[in-house]
Amino acid sequence: MSREVHSLAPDEFLDAVHSFEFWFHSIQGYLANTEFGHRPGTPKEELPTDRRERLITVLCNYCVGETAALDGASGLIGFAPNRQSKIFLATQVVDEARHLEVLIHRLSELGVANPEQEIQLRSTRSLSLFRRRLIELVASKDWEAAIFAQNVILEAMEFAAFQSHARDADPITRELLEGIIVDERRHMGFGENDLGRRLALTPHVRARLLEVKRELDPLVLETFEEMLSELGVPRSERPELGRNYLATVERLGFGS
Amino acid sequence: MNDTILREADAESETPRQRFILDDTGFDEVPKKYRRFYRRQSGPNDSLAPNEAICPVCKVVIRSTRELREGDRVYCMPCMSRLVIVRSDSGHLEARVVY
Repeated sequence: MSREVHSLAPDEFLDAVHSFEFWFHSIQGYLANTEFGHRPGTPKEELPTDRRERLITVLCNYCVGETAALDGASGLIGFAPNRQSKIFLATQVVDEARHLEVLIHRLSELGVANPEQEIQLRSTRSLSLFRRRLIELVASKDWEAAIFAQNVILEAMEFAAFQSHARDADPITRELLEGIIVDERRHMGFGENDLGRRLALTPHVRARLLEVKRELDPLVLETFEEMLSELGVPRSERPELGRNYLATVERLGFGS
Repeated sequence: MNDTILREADAESETPRQRFILDDTGFDEVPKKYRRFYRRQSGPNDSLAPNEAICPVCKVVIRSTRELREGDRVYCMPCMSRLVIVRSDSGHLEARVVY
């Protein structure tokens, strides 16, 4: 029987979870028997043309978000402040690359002949702008702003959008999204906890992050709205979905 | 959850804490040796046992081998958060993130 996890010292806990050992044994639990993110025997549902088209548009935009996170996380490793963060980000890079791969594979399964081209055609203006801005923040080696943009703003929105989408998705898409959601828990948690620790030590950073939030919030919210509209989520349910993000930023001390 | 409950004198307090034997509930998002410490919420009617708390960051149910009390430290491994049990304004125990 293993030791009570809650009796670990805080440093012991952080060391344990920011490791490839932890990551590898975690993903084995939910990905070991899957092929491109879903179990081989999952029934394939024939989708009506309009639903299929809307799904393709949504998945293309998920690909843009995942590509942004892949580029962002890989760039962040170079100036991460410590070993634990570097190792965690290396696992995140692998996660993001896997997400991109399974989403592109799903597009192919849905009959998209040239997924890369389709992603270009169907990506929203707001998400493309967000991606460009994130890469600029990474290029400027602004750790706090880049982690905030990527692991708090983007990941929290994706987490809420994927959860909502998975509830009403066809079985294959649902399984694929559920596997991604589990990964997103780690990414989101890393972002919030890392920033929380930093803000506690250097509260003056808060003002700069508030500027980033003001700039990027509208882009992500616009994308979120467009995706939920494509998925047919009633307007009345959308504020509920944004609550996860609002709760996160509130815990970090950024009121809406 | 219907874990087997044992009672054990608690050195920290006069009132003994309930002790719990944790079963594996099929939670597969962390390494095997830690799985029994977590479970998924099963819907709106899911009620928490005295040894459980919800992670405010990722909404997974955190479980302990002992009854949780104000001031206890717990960890959410799925999202890598450190939490403390506090009493909310409504009088319920809940987990709060400690950065």
